[in-house]
Amino acid sequence: MSEYNVVGKGLPRVDGPAKATGKARFTVDVNLSGMLYGKILRSPYPHARILNVDTSEAEKLPGVRGVITGEDLKDVRYAFVDTPRYPADEQPLAVDKVRYIGDEVAAVAADSESIAEEALSLIKVEYQVLPPVFTAEEAMQDDAPLIHDEELEGTSAWEEWGVAQKKRSTEKQSELSNISGNTFINYGDVQEGFAAADYIREDTFELKATAHCQMEPHAAVASFDEIDEKLHVWISTMGIFLKRFFLSKTLQMPTSKIRVHHTYVGGAFGGKIDLFSYEYCAACLALKTGRPVKIELEREEVFMTTRQRHPMNITVKTGVKKDGTIIAQDIKVIADNGAYRGSGPVVIFLCHGFSFPIYNIPNYRYEGISVYTNNPIRGPQRGHGAPQIRFSIDSHIDLLARDMGMDPVEIMLKNVREQGDALPNGDVLNSCGLTECIEGAMEAINWQDKRQQSKSELKNGRYQRGLGVSLCSMFSGAMYYPFASAAIVKMHDDGSATLFTGAQDIGQGSYTTLSQVLAEVLGIGMEDVHVVAGDTDLCPIDLGSFLSGTALVTGSAVRLAALDAKKQIIEGATDLLGVDDLEELEAEDKKVFLKEDPERFVSYQQAIQASVLKRGGNPVIGTGSYKGYEKTDRYPSLAKGKGLFTGAYGFAAQAAEVEVDTWTGRVKLVKAVTFHDCGYPLNKTIVEGQIHGCASMGAGQALSEEVYLEEGQLFNASFLQYRLPISLDTPEAADGIVATHEPSGPFGAKEVGEGSVAGMLGAVANAVHDAIGVRIKSLPITPEKVLRGLGRI
Amino acid sequence: MKQLISLEINDRVYDLPLDPRDLLVDVIRKKVGLTGTKKGCGQGDCGACTVLVDGKPILSCLTLAITCRGKKITTIEGLTGDTGELHPIQQAFVDYGAVQCGFCTPGMILTAKALLDRIARPTEEEIKRSISGNICRCTGYKKIIEAIEAAGNTISAEGVK
Repeated sequence: MSEYNVVGKGLPRVDGPAKATGKARFTVDVNLSGMLYGKILRSPYPHARILNVDTSEAEKLPGVRGVITGEDLKDVRYAFVDTPRYPADEQPLAVDKVRYIGDEVAAVAADSESIAEEALSLIKVEYQVLPPVFTAEEAMQDDAPLIHDEELEGTSAWEEWGVAQKKRSTEKQSELSNISGNTFINYGDVQEGFAAADYIREDTFELKATAHCQMEPHAAVASFDEIDEKLHVWISTMGIFLKRFFLSKTLQMPTSKIRVHHTYVGGAFGGKIDLFSYEYCAACLALKTGRPVKIELEREEVFMTTRQRHPMNITVKTGVKKDGTIIAQDIKVIADNGAYRGSGPVVIFLCHGFSFPIYNIPNYRYEGISVYTNNPIRGPQRGHGAPQIRFSIDSHIDLLARDMGMDPVEIMLKNVREQGDALPNGDVLNSCGLTECIEGAMEAINWQDKRQQSKSELKNGRYQRGLGVSLCSMFSGAMYYPFASAAIVKMHDDGSATLFTGAQDIGQGSYTTLSQVLAEVLGIGMEDVHVVAGDTDLCPIDLGSFLSGTALVTGSAVRLAALDAKKQIIEGATDLLGVDDLEELEAEDKKVFLKEDPERFVSYQQAIQASVLKRGGNPVIGTGSYKGYEKTDRYPSLAKGKGLFTGAYGFAAQAAEVEVDTWTGRVKLVKAVTFHDCGYPLNKTIVEGQIHGCASMGAGQALSEEVYLEEGQLFNASFLQYRLPISLDTPEAADGIVATHEPSGPFGAKEVGEGSVAGMLGAVANAVHDAIGVRIKSLPITPEKVLRGLGRI
Repeated sequence: MKQLISLEINDRVYDLPLDPRDLLVDVIRKKVGLTGTKKGCGQGDCGACTVLVDGKPILSCLTLAITCRGKKITTIEGLTGDTGELHPIQQAFVDYGAVQCGFCTPGMILTAKALLDRIARPTEEEIKRSISGNICRCTGYKKIIEAIEAAGNTISAEGVK
């Protein structure tokens, strides 16, 4: 690692001082002159037909400047998934029906929040209440009420953008039902596999909806500028170009007429990528009133109406040989995506995509079903399917190992994939440190000694300790709109550089890591790099900060842009150094010099000035771009899992030591271990920060986090009642960065921001079993479930 | 009825027409324009709105502004020196990777300031307890705890307040 000057070091974040001094501007901090405040009227019913909306009284209230309802909408729909197979099913405001408690019905812009609030109370809505359905199981019954009861026409997601699809699925579901998506994947022969197995086991697991809990509430500010005829928006988002695309589609404005401006994002975790009604409403009200409009959601609205993690029922059946070799596996996933499709068809695909790189299983069948219910909408959340599926599979593997009298780690090590393995879809694991991750984690948690210890110890006493382990993997970017990330490196005549990137720092530190890549390639210091980001007019396209692609995809684009700039600087120096052959020159430390004689050099400043004079005023501007996945032009088939998924997979092994209070049922996470293969760690401190954050979120979802819904109503829409980890829950942590080299990533880097949320759930559940001999198959592992398991209540 | 109230924020006196129901967080953010103080939940659960009143950390989203008459209010903007240099706690948060998205950071730093003013070198347990009302979703708290510990050491060694 010492070969580099800037990358690989745990340098402080470039946005640290702005954030530590309170100067960093978040969307909630944006205040414009003459700004109005918007509020949204929401459905009190989980399922109802709208008969009439009367806004006349609200419009008469002094201070009210604009009211919009479903009638103001252009006839457009949008959705996270929008394909012929899965037509978009959301509208910014309900037109015919409301489908969950919190569904948007009308919006008001007024001089103050309190006036807007009062105006909402004056809007009269007549509803015809319809029978609701709240579980996936009920929703799949033949006689279940239909939540979406009209035929929708699907456009092809990105065709209007110009990516030609040679062959596309036009297959639609034959008849209307509450099934919103299907995934079916099969390789080998699963029946034959089970027939050849020495031992077979099947388990079913249940996971509840969870909340992202970004500390910054969702917010949007929109303003229409009559001079440049553009709609200017400030939004707390993970991907400015995808968001602009959605806004352009819903508002029916050209993308170039919408400008997203930079703000810092106060946490995202997957929950700020969909288009939300409030964003549309802010834009629509700004267009209608001619004044800037700000909508900031209340915390309760964030819990209820943004997005949640999909609750799932997952059945895993596995056949093994006597030595622990997995020979067949059959998985069935049912996901409740709530009132709209959200990311339903995506998550059931990703449950496969984020899991199949781990174990090499010759005979495999996977079925995923996503289902509409009258619950809140579910969308991406850190790991997007990985926590659910990894919890289920590795809980199941742990049980299987116990049945067979084997150490689960032995089974894992026997079956994990290795570097060089080709996956059934054609992806190749050019870097894979899974085995090293497992070995590192086992040593850090003291697996051999402590497990033997727990076996020989008498299980009496109030407090019991146990160990568990689980594995996880994650993509490093994928193909989705806008299908590539680009970067521009503009050199200044003092030899410093400005990086223009469309990537969004959502707290993960991408401005810092991208700056490091630039500085390293260009041979300048971190202090010489300035980042301009998050602005759709100033910055080139970017995939956005989700599916963990920023390090690999945007990082590669930055690397190429920096190389381009460097080449131009060297060219600028040739005359000054009297050299024609570029090969004779090297650039480093803001100097261009002769490889043979480093004492003969010119400064970047001189070289850049020479470039301007020599090239007809052309200054040095480097550009670079990189596709979401360099080997394909398409996104994979969600329904069949065909096509290439991602350029590189990140991997992790996670272990937990828990202490169970057998009197109260409370489980304390004593020690959390994560060994993550992130390729090359571009910034050690940032990599550790991602690992800690992931592990903490995973631990919370294992032990306490649950969006508690009763007939579609949310009962714990506050941080006090929705128990996410607080400082007192912080375990002793041991982390390891397993440095492999991912050939497609900049300096060998790949994913680190999501994978490690997923292994902690299974690790904790397995540790609880190890401690008290009770298997809890439903998350979160609450004291009540523990006491029931112990037979104490 | 609005009243003209004087509030002392970061050693500067602001004369503000306030409604008795105005919350301190809204006054600081909207009327005074110091947006470093964050409003994460508006329910007193997350701690992002923490400011110091006479040196004690309080939740400004649950505090009526008029109750702060005659008291010294410190927000995150008041921690930075006149020449813009970072306070040792701010510096430690930056150096130790305790900042990710940054939304909880101002409240977290002010809570830490109140702790370190009281206990120069707190134990890990004391740090965990003191920040248990400040939620952070990004960091898992580990680097925040390390940063506060380091800041305590710096402050003790240098005698900074």
